[in-house]
Amino acid sequence: MKLLTANRLTDGLVLWYADGQWVEDAAIATHLEDAAGEALKAEWVARETEVVAPYLIPVTDDGTPVQRELVREFVRANGPTIGQTTFDTAKQFNRDEVFQ
Amino acid sequence: MSQLNSSATPTLIAKDGTRILDGWALLNDEDVVGADGPYVLGFERALTELPGLNGKYGVRVNPGDDIRALAPYMEKIALVEVNFPGYRDGRGYSTARILRSDLNYQGEIRAVGDVLRDQLFLMLRCGFNEFVLKDADPEGAIKAATDRFENAYQSAADARQPIWALRQKLTEA
Amino acid sequence: MYVYDQFDHALVRERNAEFSDQVARRLSGELSEDQFKPLRLMNGLYLQLHAYMLRIAIPYGVLSSVQMRKFAHIARTYDRDFGHFTTRQNLQFNWIKLADTPKILEELAEVEMHAMQTSGNCIRNTTTDQFSGAAKDELDDPRPWAELIRQWSTIHPEFTFLPRKFKIAITGATKDRAAIRVHDIGLHLTPKGFEVYVGGGMGRTPHLGHLIKSGVPGEKLLSYLEACLRVYNRYGRRDNIYKARIKILVSALGPDEYARQVEEEWNTLDQAAIDAPYYEIDRIRSFFPDPAFADKAFDQAALDRAKAADPAFARWVRNNTHAHKRDDHVSVTISTKPVGLPPGDASSAQMDVMADVADSFAYGELRVAHDQNIILPHVAKADLYALYQQLDRVNLSTANAKKISDIIACPGLDYCTLANARSIPLSQEISKRFADADLTDEIGELEIKISGCINACGHHHVGHIGILGVDKQGIEFYQILLGGRADEKAALGVITGKGLPAEAVPAAIERVVRLYLQLRTSPAERFIDVVERLGRETFAEALHEPA
Repeated sequence: MKLLTANRLTDGLVLWYADGQWVEDAAIATHLEDAAGEALKAEWVARETEVVAPYLIPVTDDGTPVQRELVREFVRANGPTIGQTTFDTAKQFNRDEVFQ
Repeated sequence: MSQLNSSATPTLIAKDGTRILDGWALLNDEDVVGADGPYVLGFERALTELPGLNGKYGVRVNPGDDIRALAPYMEKIALVEVNFPGYRDGRGYSTARILRSDLNYQGEIRAVGDVLRDQLFLMLRCGFNEFVLKDADPEGAIKAATDRFENAYQSAADARQPIWALRQKLTEA
Repeated sequence: MYVYDQFDHALVRERNAEFSDQVARRLSGELSEDQFKPLRLMNGLYLQLHAYMLRIAIPYGVLSSVQMRKFAHIARTYDRDFGHFTTRQNLQFNWIKLADTPKILEELAEVEMHAMQTSGNCIRNTTTDQFSGAAKDELDDPRPWAELIRQWSTIHPEFTFLPRKFKIAITGATKDRAAIRVHDIGLHLTPKGFEVYVGGGMGRTPHLGHLIKSGVPGEKLLSYLEACLRVYNRYGRRDNIYKARIKILVSALGPDEYARQVEEEWNTLDQAAIDAPYYEIDRIRSFFPDPAFADKAFDQAALDRAKAADPAFARWVRNNTHAHKRDDHVSVTISTKPVGLPPGDASSAQMDVMADVADSFAYGELRVAHDQNIILPHVAKADLYALYQQLDRVNLSTANAKKISDIIACPGLDYCTLANARSIPLSQEISKRFADADLTDEIGELEIKISGCINACGHHHVGHIGILGVDKQGIEFYQILLGGRADEKAALGVITGKGLPAEAVPAAIERVVRLYLQLRTSPAERFIDVVERLGRETFAEALHEPA
């Protein structure tokens, strides 16, 4: 399974593909079949005025990114792990940290 | 959404903003130098053949080529095409400046390849005077590049005096 | 400090108009991301893990209280209320909207600042000694030369698309606080002209710079640099991003051959057209006079009483002040590294306080040091206690300059797309381990530098203890280097022992430090001295848990 993610062109914020649209909350990202993910990514690579650098994250059956991506995507999905913006993103959506 | 600007058909345009016709033909290395010139020779070929040729030729210079090797033949060269295979490769800027300030070359220096609007100001300053420009509005691009900066901090191959010289003039005035 | 004239103002305004146009063309789709990326980088705008990051140039680390207040304003208005001071004496904001950038650059221009060439394959902000113009051991002031280089290198038409980024550092003191041997070009300003070191750098393949020329007169400096850059621009590798820095070219050619080519190129250049003449150098120099030093009556007994009454203040005076060329003044280090907080971060409120104390006690001037701390270069000794008390109210009074908790750390995987591991959490854990100020003082000078990847933005190669984060199948691991230093005796640290998981690092460092305390002959023998005397292998075993 894959998650599709990117950054929004105008403000650079992290986006996740969920049910046909982009959202800022990783917790509701759609788990995509590999082929569907590749097709969507190809579509969005071309839509450069909306998002930048879309890519697919391989996830395990329990929905966390595979090891190689884990720390990076944990940080992207929840916010920095330190300082005055610790887990800003998770807090913004009133949720616990995802991708533990 | 607007069209990607660099997808426009490339236009040959001079630094004064006039479109020009390309009278030059780039010779493949296997082609013979015939009667219907003028010809642009590849760099290696120019080095080999210019010693035995008369008249004026163009030379195509790629990023790794040492322009100084052509120093003995400057009087036979009327056009140097400096190729930018990708616009991030900045070696062509040094090539142009060496031509203008070290080799005292007075002929045309033409930027070819990945030549985009946002590089024009730098190219103009380094001594390029013709561009095969990938832009939907080539005249507008030249004008923008010419008008963008009134002055510059450093001397280069254009007519601008460095800002330190302008400051001195103000003091003297 | 340097003050813009009409030419400087116009150029920044024109550049902002150019970038504004580029942003508009990117938003409309006329420019592709691939085409836009180098343009935005050359204006300081990165796309990082969470958002765009804007890196603002603080030329040679010098800034005024007015500029610091502008940073506070930008942090509040356009970002999440804080900024991050970097190892290159710049400031970065972490959540900047692309569409806001032209407006922010306009605001910066109002206070004579910009973000030009803080990224991209061009000549970057020239860095220098944070105590320039103030230090007791200074021979000559590097700031006018750094400003001269700033102007020459800004929108240099030939050197905007170099093989890779290019960093110049200058020092004019006996002690090298600018790390000139680990820069692409390091300049040592001496009474006999400039010594030019070339080919230093960190990253994947660290090198110390080679001295290629001595006695370059100041009025020929720019043409000599132009020759150095031209040889690099023409012959530096472009086929492999990891081999594109000038250090690789210099080591491939050999320093002598590189120097010969530069000399040859220098002789072909129209030096008179390139080199700014004396009057321009004098004009620039005229912006860096001493402040009008206040002749405040200094009462040593009163200071001693304050220190006796407030031991924390006494410690701060001992650790965070630096000898000034005037006996009644000192330079003060404001530590951005309270125990357990991210090194280099400052909130807008803290920035405002720093601006206020600069106005009240430091002639309105501040500096950013390459160790990410803020410096007040000129403070009358009579004002120290009042200054300290104001800093203390906003957690800016940590007395750890040059101590083990004064850690340099890159942003790491908490912010940076290039990182393989996090740096800041580790620096926090280490600083908590050494939170005891008495222990910190007993340990003395010890520089820990942490990078979250091989690009070495945290300078791990030149830390007395360097730490490099690597990724091992999704687990953050840290390699420990010992014996590096960035000063006038520059040396590269060497990886010692096996890589450690994050949770094992603070204890490992404590074992190394305890061993050092046993081995030193006196408190005057610093950690780095002992490593050099006994060899780093002496410490290898201590890095690992005793079996």
